[in-house]
Amino acid sequence: MSANTFEATSAPSPASRTDASSENTGSSAIPPFVLVVAGLTGFLALGYEILWFRVLAFATWGLPASFGILLAVYLLGIAVGSRIAGAFCKKEVEKFDPAVLKSLGIFVGISSIAASFVGPAFGMLAKTREWPWPLGFVAIAAGLLGAVLPLLCHFGIAPDERAGSKLSYVYLANIVGSTLGSFVTGFLFLDRLPIAKVGLVLYVGGLLVAGTILARAKLSQTGKIATGIVLVALLATAGPVMNKAWDRIYEKLLYKTHDDGESRFSDIIETKSGVITVTKDGTVYGGGAYDGRLNVSVVNDRNGIARAYGIGAMKPNAKKVLMIGLASGSWARVIENLPGVEDFTIVEINPGYTELISRYPTVAPILKDPRIHIVFDDGRRWLNRNPNEKFDLVVMNTTWHWRSNITNLLSQEFMELVRGHLAPGGLFYFNTTSSADAQKTAATVFPYALRVYNFVAVSDAPFSFDKERWKKILTDYKMDGVAAVDTSTEAGQKRYEDLLSYADTVHAPPTDTGLESRESILARTKDDTVVTDDNMVIEWRTVFRFPEGP
Amino acid sequence: MPPRSSPSGSGSGSSSSSSPPRTLPLAARAWVGTVFLLSGFAALLYQVVWQRSLFAIYGINVEAVTMVVTAFMLGLGLGSLAGGVLSKDGTRNVLRLFALVEALIGAFGLVSLPIFHGVGQATLGLPLAVVFLVTFVLVLLPTMLMGSTLPLLVAFLVRSTGNVGKSVGSLYFVNTIGSAFASALSVVYLLGHQGQKRTVFIAAGFNFTVAVLALIGERLFRSPPVTETTKEEVPS
Repeated sequence: MSANTFEATSAPSPASRTDASSENTGSSAIPPFVLVVAGLTGFLALGYEILWFRVLAFATWGLPASFGILLAVYLLGIAVGSRIAGAFCKKEVEKFDPAVLKSLGIFVGISSIAASFVGPAFGMLAKTREWPWPLGFVAIAAGLLGAVLPLLCHFGIAPDERAGSKLSYVYLANIVGSTLGSFVTGFLFLDRLPIAKVGLVLYVGGLLVAGTILARAKLSQTGKIATGIVLVALLATAGPVMNKAWDRIYEKLLYKTHDDGESRFSDIIETKSGVITVTKDGTVYGGGAYDGRLNVSVVNDRNGIARAYGIGAMKPNAKKVLMIGLASGSWARVIENLPGVEDFTIVEINPGYTELISRYPTVAPILKDPRIHIVFDDGRRWLNRNPNEKFDLVVMNTTWHWRSNITNLLSQEFMELVRGHLAPGGLFYFNTTSSADAQKTAATVFPYALRVYNFVAVSDAPFSFDKERWKKILTDYKMDGVAAVDTSTEAGQKRYEDLLSYADTVHAPPTDTGLESRESILARTKDDTVVTDDNMVIEWRTVFRFPEGP
Repeated sequence: MPPRSSPSGSGSGSSSSSSPPRTLPLAARAWVGTVFLLSGFAALLYQVVWQRSLFAIYGINVEAVTMVVTAFMLGLGLGSLAGGVLSKDGTRNVLRLFALVEALIGAFGLVSLPIFHGVGQATLGLPLAVVFLVTFVLVLLPTMLMGSTLPLLVAFLVRSTGNVGKSVGSLYFVNTIGSAFASALSVVYLLGHQGQKRTVFIAAGFNFTVAVLALIGERLFRSPPVTETTKEEVPS
């Protein structure tokens, strides 16, 4: 903090202050204009923050630290901006001084322009710089936005003993605007518009607010003409400029150093719940993170779908099944065809995935299967709100163990919650994405556990990856009347034998891809930590990660 | 005993405008800055942990996140209004009020997580609108207290310096710097190494420290209340 932070550099003489107050008598109320501007600038500031977070979260695959770092930089920028604004408030002014309004209008205008290019800057720099670099632009834009509130207060609030009271109204208007900005941008704009259009809306909104302020600033004739020309030019070019700036933003953020400058996704689905993108080869990315591939073939297994078929070897004839997380639908498609499945509930947080699935014939049939009920909800919340639902099988092809809020699905508390939803002999089978902490947690909570590649199956009743059942699945499983493995060909027979031999890996020394007993898991993970809601250890093992592009 | 100015009688003119602005001594400036920086630091720690805690209860789908964030923001806004109302009375000692507010935030902080968890579990089966209402009430008290701190300190500073823009800018600056540090520290160290409970306890420790510092500062750098005596001392 600088020494002169609180310095009143040019406090007026008592006499002049008395005169000023006399002039303002009768107009002590804050003009609606000030409150409206406070609200609108708050709207824009939070709208941009939401927009920037969507971009940053995509670039970092939803790294837990990304929001905290963004917020820190954002707040730092706001803080410095408000401090710099103090320099514009040194000269004691009359309330409603147009000179302050001029500074305010200029700040709002410049901040809007700067803020509108922050998101595209993440894309532009993704090829050559890691994600923290563009945060510098966030700081600059936030700094400009942060200057607005002090300037506005200096303009609209008299320096009397009711300043605190009046400030509270301006502050409230700013907070209400911020809340609306967050809500409207996150809930409506990002749900209904492509990100480039959201950027355009905020950009134009900022320019219009700046123009409105400057129109009241009593500029000189030349100033008015110049301001008008600049504003009209900026508004006229806003559409093409924003389209160009945001073009291929998700491709740039995903491919990073591997971006060829031309490739486009075959599908982009943007909803309030996130961004789903599909590459030309059918790889699905949710919020920038690998989310699976559109494949149900155990022969041409590009997505480890054999782990889904393996359910039949551990839990035969599961009648009532719950799956938390739908993603590409490949796992659901395999599970719906497992023998014995009668009732299949899927809880998915992002409705965009059903739209995605409807576009791909490989997985689309799950949307028409009368046994399948898709619920859009938070998985943990759904379990909490449906305490009487019991399942023979609970499956969770969870995302990366280090992504934001994943603790909610991998903690000891969550596993206890799932336990309460397992029917007698029920199995919980989930992806640990190779996290030793998650594996230890599962093997600690449940008395019976088995690692299947990077998945862990747990239960309160004994179970095994039974070779005979596995053999039966591999020979009898059919999807739309087609066998999972065609053993009539040499290649098919070889694949069948490779798959079948997987059941024997439980007797061999554990490998990353094989089966592993509970005892072995616990011995191997003795130095790791049981994940709890409180320690969230799984998310914070490595604070900074720099995911590479595919 | 000098008469207190009634809120209605201390409008934009009268008593305040006749109260001479002063330049705060360096020590006072550093003290105010430190106090509000620590206050902002603690507030953001709470927000980070409370939101995480509430997300675990109510979910991380966008509706639940919006509900929690909106409740936080509205609480801050209403708190700002309450702080503004309290600061209207020129004779009221805003620094003591500020200290009290910080102590109350700290006290709530100490018991906050068990309260959130208990109430959260009890309301999970209720309709979304009811859950929103409960969440709103749940975070209303602490966030209102947090929101009231800025108007209180602005009132103190404006009485001392007579400059609104600089007062708001300066306080906003240190408070937001504190919040920025808290945000960075929470993700770089606190959440991963201390967990939710201990992070909240650390925040509460800061609140109590701030309350004590405010009371000490109130004695050392007291801004004279607006009284008839001080009015008479003002040269015309």
